[in-house]
Amino acid sequence: MPERRRTPAWLPAVVTATGVLALWTVVAASDLVRPAYLAPSPLEVWDAFVRANTYHEIGGGVDRVVRGEENYFLWEHLVVSLRRIGIGLLLAILVGVPLGLLMGTVASVRRVAGPYLDFLRSIPPLAYMGFLVAWFGIYDTSKIWLLFLAAFPPIALATINGVRGVREDQVNAVLSLGASRRQVVTSVVLPATLPDILSGIRVAVGFAWTTVVAAELVNGLPGIGGLAYLSGTQNKIALSVACILVIGLTAIALDALIRLIERSLVPWRGKA
Amino acid sequence: MTLESVRTHAGAVRVAGVEHVFGSRGDTVPALDRIDLTIEPGELVTLAGPSGCGKTTLLRLVAGFMRPSSGTITVGDRTVRGPGAERGVVFQQPTLYPWLDVRGNVALGPRLRGAAKAERAARAEEYLAMVGLTDFADRRPYELSGGMQQRAQIARVLANDPDIVLMDEPFGALDALTRERLQTELLTLWRTTGKTVLFITHGVDEAVLLGSRVLVMSPRPGRIVFDEPAPFAAASADVDPVELRASAEFAAMTRRVREAIA
Repeated sequence: MPERRRTPAWLPAVVTATGVLALWTVVAASDLVRPAYLAPSPLEVWDAFVRANTYHEIGGGVDRVVRGEENYFLWEHLVVSLRRIGIGLLLAILVGVPLGLLMGTVASVRRVAGPYLDFLRSIPPLAYMGFLVAWFGIYDTSKIWLLFLAAFPPIALATINGVRGVREDQVNAVLSLGASRRQVVTSVVLPATLPDILSGIRVAVGFAWTTVVAAELVNGLPGIGGLAYLSGTQNKIALSVACILVIGLTAIALDALIRLIERSLVPWRGKA
Repeated sequence: MTLESVRTHAGAVRVAGVEHVFGSRGDTVPALDRIDLTIEPGELVTLAGPSGCGKTTLLRLVAGFMRPSSGTITVGDRTVRGPGAERGVVFQQPTLYPWLDVRGNVALGPRLRGAAKAERAARAEEYLAMVGLTDFADRRPYELSGGMQQRAQIARVLANDPDIVLMDEPFGALDALTRERLQTELLTLWRTTGKTVLFITHGVDEAVLLGSRVLVMSPRPGRIVFDEPAPFAAASADVDPVELRASAEFAAMTRRVREAIA
């Protein structure tokens, strides 16, 4: 039997991406969108991306060299945004996981606190923004609070869910080995809940990322969302598109990173 | 009687006037109807009965996972109010923890007690060797076959050195060959360790072969309708279980147990 050549797995993706770029180039070069600056070509976007990451001349005949955009390189804008969600997320984990464990294990706490948690979850985080600016000012403190409020309900809810899903006999087994109440939590409930906690964190990261980008509309510089907004309002469409692409690719990278962490922390997921 | 079984023991398990009802207000299902039962130290008591008769309920009451609706359960002179390390439980489904390797699972009891690392490791090795899993110590439970998981679970319970081992149809989900091998292993373990064992099964053969005393429970609400000593568990030290199974005495007792169940 002759060996059949199989198409490599990456081929469809590459073909699609090339097609999208080609279509984009054609649309940008055509007169479909006017004025033309509203539809930058892929090359112009790439150019804006490079300029935003380097020292470059301000252009327009002015002989002045500036640092990236708004005095920060684009990657620095990105790092500032990532730092905000990093801190907000860390606080959300530190509060959400213990709260979820407590609510999951103690029925009375769950009954009392449950409705409040559901209420918090149902509020779009940006609704807090004005309130938080009034309380904590327009700088990073209010943004980190916002991200904390966005990220902690999904983490707490996933933790509660995980605790409630722990099989009764897994707890009974460890009690019959002589475990104390505290040991039941540390040696069974917490590790058994870890897959759910990580799922909650994954949801929270996605949520926090969309929230931080939107939150940076208010005094968001440096910040990738702030830059995306400002450049649009200044008609630097190519730069704005570059920021949008960076925001999207970062979201995908964050998700992939958490999946990687999941795989190494809970190798038993789906197997037991 | 070996010297082993003379060591201090938690004492007899006494089930006195225990009734148990599931559900509440109007919608209740009686599960157990006045059980009176004393299990002496060192006995291997098998409890057979049709499925749903309440035998697992009785085991879970003795384990302390539930409190009986009425009556009391004592171990030695202490009333059972919850699970305890002196009553090890082997579940029907192996409840091994997938975040620990097999060694970590077996060493869990000593670790919870705060045993030193060296002692934990030594105990784990000893009991892994006893159930023939030495080569699988570094595997995760889900990498093991069902029979090996069940052996690992038994090793975990024994490594915690309980006086009483409660086993809830531990071999029910296994294929016939694995089941027979584990039955033989259990008998060896029982003879060498002198543990008190309560073994739940729905298999008549299994009940007669393994029990030093065989109980039968009636359909719900469960009552004990048959209670006889059986010689085969002790005899299995000298005679191959295959021969024991083929003997006339075995057949006769099996028939009586079967009649008691029907």
